[in-house]
Amino acid sequence: MSANATNVTRVEHAVTRAVERVTRQALGPYQTAVVRIGFALTWLLFLLREFPHRHELYGPDSPWSRGLAEQLLQLNDAFTVLMWSDSDAFFEIVYGLAVLASLALMLGWRTRTMSVLFMIGVLSLQNRSVFMGDGGDNVIHLVAIYLVLTRCGQVWSLDARRRARTAPDAPPRDAVGVWLWSVLGFGLLAATLLGHLSWGWALIFYGLWLAQAVWWMVQRLWPGEPRTVCDQLANLVHNAGLLIIMVQVVFVYATAGWYKVQGTLWQDGTALHYPLHLDYFTPWPALSDTLGGSGTMVMIITYGTVIVQVAFPFTLFNRRIKNVLLALMIIEHASIAVILGLPFFSLAMIAADAVFLPTVFLMWIGGWTVAGRDRLIGRRRRAAEPAALKAPRQSAPADVESGTPLR
Amino acid sequence: MESRAPDESGISGAEESPGRLSLPAQIFMALAVAVVLGFTAWHLATVFLYVSPPNTVSKQHKETIDGYVLPEFEQNWKLFAPNPLQQNIDVQARAEVQKKDGSTEQTPWVNLSAQDAEAIKHNPAPSHTEQNELRRAWDYFINSHDEKNRPNGVRGELSEQYLKRIVMLRFGPVLNDGKVQSIQLRAEVTPLAAPDWSADKRSTQSSYRQLGWWQVTTADLQKGDRETWSSWEGSGQ
Repeated sequence: MSANATNVTRVEHAVTRAVERVTRQALGPYQTAVVRIGFALTWLLFLLREFPHRHELYGPDSPWSRGLAEQLLQLNDAFTVLMWSDSDAFFEIVYGLAVLASLALMLGWRTRTMSVLFMIGVLSLQNRSVFMGDGGDNVIHLVAIYLVLTRCGQVWSLDARRRARTAPDAPPRDAVGVWLWSVLGFGLLAATLLGHLSWGWALIFYGLWLAQAVWWMVQRLWPGEPRTVCDQLANLVHNAGLLIIMVQVVFVYATAGWYKVQGTLWQDGTALHYPLHLDYFTPWPALSDTLGGSGTMVMIITYGTVIVQVAFPFTLFNRRIKNVLLALMIIEHASIAVILGLPFFSLAMIAADAVFLPTVFLMWIGGWTVAGRDRLIGRRRRAAEPAALKAPRQSAPADVESGTPLR
Repeated sequence: MESRAPDESGISGAEESPGRLSLPAQIFMALAVAVVLGFTAWHLATVFLYVSPPNTVSKQHKETIDGYVLPEFEQNWKLFAPNPLQQNIDVQARAEVQKKDGSTEQTPWVNLSAQDAEAIKHNPAPSHTEQNELRRAWDYFINSHDEKNRPNGVRGELSEQYLKRIVMLRFGPVLNDGKVQSIQLRAEVTPLAAPDWSADKRSTQSSYRQLGWWQVTTADLQKGDRETWSSWEGSGQ
C-alpha cells in the first residue's frame, strides 16, 4: 500500500518535473537567436541580390505568369499574398515589405511580429513561383514557419536591449508595438473582408494577433498567475519549435546521407567528380578542375560527405564529436558556396547547422562581435572628437574655455 | 541562475520553488504540454514518413501524410543522391519567323542553357533566373510528360506554357528581323566523362530530345512585347 503510494507520488513528481522542464525556460536562447539572424540575413541578402530580377522571378509578368501560378495554386493550395492583386505596385510593396521584415527580424525589432511578417514574405514570394527555387529556398521556407513558434529574440536583439533598459516588473509601455499591432489588425481585417484568407490561415493569423493582445494585457492587468501561465505557454511552444528545427536539420542530413549510401558513384568514390563538371554549378572551372584533378582527394571528400551526413544525427549524443562534425559541415557548406556557386543555399544550411552550436562558442562569438563593434565605434568617436572640439572653437570660442576637459 | 537552483536540488526543491501555480493552472499547463507534445510528435512523425523511402506505414497513410506535408512543409533532401546528375542538359530553341515581305525563315538553334552557363561563370552569386529558371522548367516538363512528350494532366500543360514563356522572354517578339510565329525546343543531353582514373569508360556522345513546334500566342509574351508583336503583323500586309 505504502509502496504503491510512493510509486504514484514518484510518477507524479516525474510528470511535474517534466512539465516544469519544458515550461519554465525557453531553451537555447543563443541558438534560436543565431538561427533567426542567420535565416533573416540569408533571405535579406537573397532579396537584395535578386532585386534587379524580382519581376522575372515573382512579378505579375514573370515567365511563370500570374495565370499559370493561379492554376497551380488551385491544385496545391499554397499560401501567397501575391495573388491578391495583379497590380505592379502591390507586388513592389510586398517585395519591399519582405525586405524590411527580414531586416527587422535580423535586428530583433518587435521580433515575434516580424517573424510572422517574415514568414508571410517568404511564403508569398516562394509559393508564387515554386519552380524558381532550390534546396536553399526549401530550408528557408521551413525555418521561416518554425521561427514563428520560438522566442528567438531573447538575446542579440533590439527587443532584448529595450527590455534590459526598462525595470523588470514595470508594465510595458510600448506605443510603437501597439501601433504596429493595430495596423496589422487592420490589414488582417481588410484581407478577411476581401475574402483572401482561407479558414486555416485566418485561424493562424487571428490566433497570433490575439495572442499578442493577450500577452500585452496580462502584462499590464494581470501580472500574477495569468502572466506566469502565458509566459510558460510561450516557453512551451518555443521549446517545441526549437525541437522541430533541430529534428528538421537531422532529417535533412539523414535523408541526404542515407540516400547517398545507395548510390554506386558514392560507393566507388567518384561522385564528387560529376557536380564539378556540371555547367550550371561551375562558376570557377579552374577551381573545380583543381579540386577534381586528384582521384584520392575526390574519393576522400566523397566518402567524407557521406560519413558526416549519415553519422551526424548519432553524434548529437556526444558533445565533442558533434562539434567536430558540425565544424566539418560548416566548412563543407562554405566550400559549396564558392565551388558550386550556391551562396544562399550554403548560408541557409550554415544557419540551420548553427542551431547545434554550443552556447559557449556562440557567446564567445557574441562577445567578440560586441568588442569589435565597440572598438570600431570607439575609434570613430575618438576620430570625431577633435573635430567636435574644433567646431565650437571657431564659432563660439568662449565656450571652449569653460568646456569639458580633454580626455 | 536562481531559476535553475530548485531544479537541481531535487523534488522537494521543485515544490518549494517560487511562482508555484494553483491547481487549475497546473492542470491547464499539463493539458497544454500534452497538446503541444502531441502536435510536435505528429509533425515530426509525418515529416519523417514523408522523407523516408516508401514503407509499410507511409504507403498505408500516403494521403494523410501528403495532405499534411504539402504544400508548406514539402521537402526534398536527396541532394545529389542516390547518384549525382552525370550529364549536362542544354535546352536549346529555334523559331520560325515571318519577315516583313511575308516570307518565313527558320532560325538556327540557340543554346539557352549555354547563355545561363556564361552568366554563371565567374559570378560569386548567380541569380535564380540563371541557375534555376530554365533548368528547373525543363525538369518540370520532363517530370510532367511521358516518353512521347505528351502531358500528363494540368501540370504538364502548365509546364509547356511556362517553357514557351521562358523562351519568348529570351527571344523577344522579333528575332532576325522577323516576327516569331512558332518555336521548337530540344534538349542536348551530354553525358559527363568518367574521371581519368576510373575504369568506367562511358560514351560522351550527345543525344537529343526534341519537342514539336509550338505556335506562339500573345499569352506567351511579356506584356510590353505584345504591342510590337501584334502590330508587326499589320505592317507585313
